[in-house]
Amino acid sequence: MESTKAILVDITKCIGCQQCAIACRAAHKQAGDPEPSLSATAFTVVEPHGDKFVRRMCLHCEDPSCASVCPVGAIKKTVQGAVRYDGSKCIGCRYCMIACPYGVPKYEWSKLAPYVTKCDMCAERVLGGNQPACTEACPTGASIFGKREELLREAKKRIVENPGTYVDRIYGETELGGTSVFYISDVPFEKLGFIEPPAQQPLPNLSEAALAEVPSVVAIGGSLLAGVYWITERRKEVALAEERERKERS
Amino acid sequence: MTNTKSILTPWRVIAVLIFASGAVATYMRFALGYQASTNLSNGQPWGVWVGLSTLCGVGLSAGGFMIAAAVYLMGMERYRPISRVAVMIAFLGYLAVCAGYAWELGLPWNFWHPIVMWNRQSVLFEVVWCIMLYTTVLALEFSPALIEKLPWQNTRQTLLRWQHRIVIALVLVGVLLSSMHQSFLGGLFIIFKGKEYPLWYSSYQTTLFYLSAIPAGMAMVIIALYLSIRSLRVKVDPKLLSELSKVITPMLVIFGLFRFLDLLRQHAGPYMFMAREETFYFWLEIALFVAVPLVLFNMERMKSRPIGLYWASCVTVMGFMTHRLNVSVTALERATATHYVPKWTEMAVAIMLISAAVIAFRYAVLYLDILPKNEPKTPPQLRWTMKGATAEA
Repeated sequence: MESTKAILVDITKCIGCQQCAIACRAAHKQAGDPEPSLSATAFTVVEPHGDKFVRRMCLHCEDPSCASVCPVGAIKKTVQGAVRYDGSKCIGCRYCMIACPYGVPKYEWSKLAPYVTKCDMCAERVLGGNQPACTEACPTGASIFGKREELLREAKKRIVENPGTYVDRIYGETELGGTSVFYISDVPFEKLGFIEPPAQQPLPNLSEAALAEVPSVVAIGGSLLAGVYWITERRKEVALAEERERKERS
Repeated sequence: MTNTKSILTPWRVIAVLIFASGAVATYMRFALGYQASTNLSNGQPWGVWVGLSTLCGVGLSAGGFMIAAAVYLMGMERYRPISRVAVMIAFLGYLAVCAGYAWELGLPWNFWHPIVMWNRQSVLFEVVWCIMLYTTVLALEFSPALIEKLPWQNTRQTLLRWQHRIVIALVLVGVLLSSMHQSFLGGLFIIFKGKEYPLWYSSYQTTLFYLSAIPAGMAMVIIALYLSIRSLRVKVDPKLLSELSKVITPMLVIFGLFRFLDLLRQHAGPYMFMAREETFYFWLEIALFVAVPLVLFNMERMKSRPIGLYWASCVTVMGFMTHRLNVSVTALERATATHYVPKWTEMAVAIMLISAAVIAFRYAVLYLDILPKNEPKTPPQLRWTMKGATAEA
């Protein structure tokens, strides 16, 4: 079985050189300079937070909300780890954009045939045996690419071997069921614009719990309604019969 | 009919203006794109097209399944005279919702994808299927009104006989489908945990949407009946209006109670009194959808007269729309740091869709046998008169 790939971002090592963003633009044939925040034409950006730099991108959740809400299954979590979007299926409902807890998917608002855009972890390059453009371009090793378990081990090792340096948390290890992009940092994550996960479980579980009620609601509701109808009809019959009796008697 | 003298009546001028602006907005949407034609953004990708057209359009059509169930399944014959109009309101509502997808969807030509590309995990997938199936059910439920007008007697009778055979099944399936997607429209918002403002997030959003659609759908039926009586020379027992309103009041109480208990359950109580913009919209919703309608529907002066019931219903519908727009727009603004005000084009399209449904309603009532009429020219059908609907107007 193919192992899931992931990216580890070490915020202590990022120098804000933008090489990842530049490489990403080149890999996705996007002209122009790196942008300040994620957009339809910027799949990764480097955000300054005080003296720290935080690279933003799709976190490639293990159990992605965007894929769960898509009515046509245009977004899929692949075995390689990337969460990929298939524009040929998309109907443009934009549910994925609101469902993403990290606010990652963007829309091509200016186009006549607009599609959703987001980082695809350079899925084609990875399938071809390469690593994503961003990690390849990173000069300091702040972003590295590898197998998910190995990167998790590496992140834990760095935290343990450098006591006092890192915050004791790997962002993405367990958040909302875990992601395939991890962050480690020497500054608490809430100060760097990371959201606190709104639930202890993957968000798709919440709507699945609601959907799970469908079969029982249909079965119980259907039988109830049929029962009500049967009673109504029965009443009518009884009323008719009584009427007839009364007539016969008189 | 409003006019026999001049073609230029005020209402016609307004209709022309509405459709002209709608046409311009439509041109902008399809020839220039979303950026030119909407204020939608990455932070607010749905806006009023989803908030008004879909969420309100479907909710306000809820009268159809309830009246149909009351008449066909529960044998409440006194509602039979208005069952057809209730079904038609729902049918037109759903047609408007479906038409709205042409503007709402970014790639509307792919609208058929959910039929063949399935994702059972998606609440929206379930909603789309329910809406497709229920619109079909409504078309079949409503079909006799059109079949009756067919000039060929044999075809007419065969079709009517077939329709009559399946009508109970249609109503039953319709109630199930409606109940499912009325609540699943709320279910769409369950996954937005953390993004929805605490005053509007609920893991029971499904229940809240169902409970709110029932009084709103009833209020819509009252509005349509009142306007038909007033300006389309329709003959409906005004007592029916007050009977319908008696369903609304307890439903609003249940909704209000559920809403408050649910907020307390989720520890959102303090948010009700914070000095924030959201607090205002929350209380506006409670006022328009719970407090004011409850007062109005219980005032002797209002409930004894059809016009009073009409205005109370109008407030209810306004309150319902406030609730749906709060859930879909207001609730997302803080988390996404987006202040969204719809562009005129978005409103123009929504108003055009509503107007199209209203005009279709008007002409259907005038030319089909939707409601018993006063005019002697077109004699009311036998079955209408038999049910005692032709009481005093």
